Amino acid sequence: MSRKTERLVNLTIALLATKRYLTKSEIFRTVDGYEGSDESKERMFERDKDDLRNLGIEIEVGTFDPLFEDESGYRIKPENYQFQLGEVTADEIALLSVAAQAWRGASLGSSALSALNKLHAIGIESDTELLPDLAPSIVSEDMNLPLAISAITSQNILSFEYLTEEMLAEVRVIEPYVVAARFGHWYLLGNDLDRKAQRIFRLDRIVGAVKSQGKSASYQIPIGIDVDAAFASQQPLRSATLLLRDGRALNLRTRITQQAETGHPDGWQKVAIDFRDDDRFLEEILWYGSDVVLIEPLDLRQQIIERLKAGVKRYG
Amino acid sequence: MAKSQATPVERAARLLDLVPFISTHQGISIKDLATEFDLSDSELLSDLNTLWMCGLPGYTPLELIDLEFESGYVSIRNAEILQRVRLLTKQELVIIVLGLDILRESLKQSRSDLISSVDNLIFKIRNIVGDIATAAPIVDSSHRAVISQAINSRRDLELLYHSTIRDAVTTRTVTPIDIAVDFGFEVLNAYCHSAGGFRTFRLDNMKSVTLISASSVIPQESVATNFQWQLLISSRLRTTLERFREVPNDLIAEKDASVQVQSFSRDWLLRTALSTLGSAEVMAPQDARSSLAFSCQQTLELYEQI
Repeated sequence: MSRKTERLVNLTIALLATKRYLTKSEIFRTVDGYEGSDESKERMFERDKDDLRNLGIEIEVGTFDPLFEDESGYRIKPENYQFQLGEVTADEIALLSVAAQAWRGASLGSSALSALNKLHAIGIESDTELLPDLAPSIVSEDMNLPLAISAITSQNILSFEYLTEEMLAEVRVIEPYVVAARFGHWYLLGNDLDRKAQRIFRLDRIVGAVKSQGKSASYQIPIGIDVDAAFASQQPLRSATLLLRDGRALNLRTRITQQAETGHPDGWQKVAIDFRDDDRFLEEILWYGSDVVLIEPLDLRQQIIERLKAGVKRYG
Repeated sequence: MAKSQATPVERAARLLDLVPFISTHQGISIKDLATEFDLSDSELLSDLNTLWMCGLPGYTPLELIDLEFESGYVSIRNAEILQRVRLLTKQELVIIVLGLDILRESLKQSRSDLISSVDNLIFKIRNIVGDIATAAPIVDSSHRAVISQAINSRRDLELLYHSTIRDAVTTRTVTPIDIAVDFGFEVLNAYCHSAGGFRTFRLDNMKSVTLISASSVIPQESVATNFQWQLLISSRLRTTLERFREVPNDLIAEKDASVQVQSFSRDWLLRTALSTLGSAEVMAPQDARSSLAFSCQQTLELYEQI
């Protein structure tokens, strides 16, 4: 087991130290750990290259004499190996560290730890005292979050089973673009290959683990995707008129767009509120029982009355 | 510990990160180093022993990395090649940028110096990875900081709390126990002195959190009563299950799904049942049905008047 670890470290050192490209035969001859037949060395090397790439270490391929059809060689450019955020101040190290610490205990905890190790290795003593008392925290134990992020960063197509409103598991295949935390949930936005359109998926409605298919870099992520606009464009905004009982329906009150001065009974306020989804809105109003009365739109008011009548009949 | 199952590749990554860290922290104790990398002492020693065998081709003492860690303190020599701090992987950049998003929201406007530093970092990172991840937090991080402080110093808290069940904002004095995750939402488990019992408070419903000087002994945890209702869901299966916070273990694909739901709060069950009136019928217990009949009747009368 540790032979492999050693070999990867030795290969990294050799390819980083070299000023010119090293040929495969030079690598096999000089780097410790390549053993066995030519074929098995070859296989080992291919795997090692992939493994290093997954660690973010890019191996450059080139020929060292452009005039001849030479055997190609390999090297790691130091500028592609080292910390890429440039000069950072103590303040910035502190902010980056606090940001990574937000993942403590979450599904990406191990990436957070390795990021912290690197930040601390820069060797600038960061003064966290400078920061106000903050404890940002990201709550996600969903193992599909790291899988989705790595699919996005490597541009791998994802397939998964998604629960429909009828609780049927439906297979979806998407080019994943963005992960976003909104309204207390994680969402994945991507291009649905069957529906040929952008779709948003809530991660906790995915059944089991997402699977990546095909090769890396198999599509392009469009530039400037606006997640909030994507949420908003799912359904048009409509306006409703409601009566709210004094001091009640606090959550609805945060969304008031207009308040009427007249035309309301004593102990009530007449307000306007925007909504998108009919069903969600009806359920939201019913949650408040006799503290909220919907006036308009009339078709929704009628639906509430019908539901209440059915309730009286069913439970009475 | 967390790292005991590390693959050879993950270990290689760790070794590559150990070198620059030790280089800038020469003479660090084994214990501190193990803590930094979340390893046990023996795991760390095994890492260091492996690192000792690594170096430049030739692998004579001249080329090998020179580590000294016999006396309980570690220093490193002859590791110039690996001394540079490794670049952050895209995955690491993504989690940092999400963390920065959350951090930014909690920085008060008065710290505009920090906000512009955060913006600058977010800009730098998005230039590398693109706009592939964003987070809008629902919890004010400064609340979490105050709560952690109270738990650590065993002091009480005063909460200005918006209870969605009671549809009211009230002031509560609580003795905090711990922060937990409940159906994806961060909650504070606490003993509520205002209510005289153990309660769960969602962090995103806290309007303000204040440390007070009192500290109290809380009673032994009593067995919480749980209300259990029987439900028949006929439409909007997924939404209705989510509203009742039921995580479906087996997929229910029939037309009418019979499920048992529960909560410590009868009021919450009642409101949720009222809200999902169009999709679900409460079959039992009878007192729940009577309460629902009353609420429906009362609300319907309002609609007949106004």
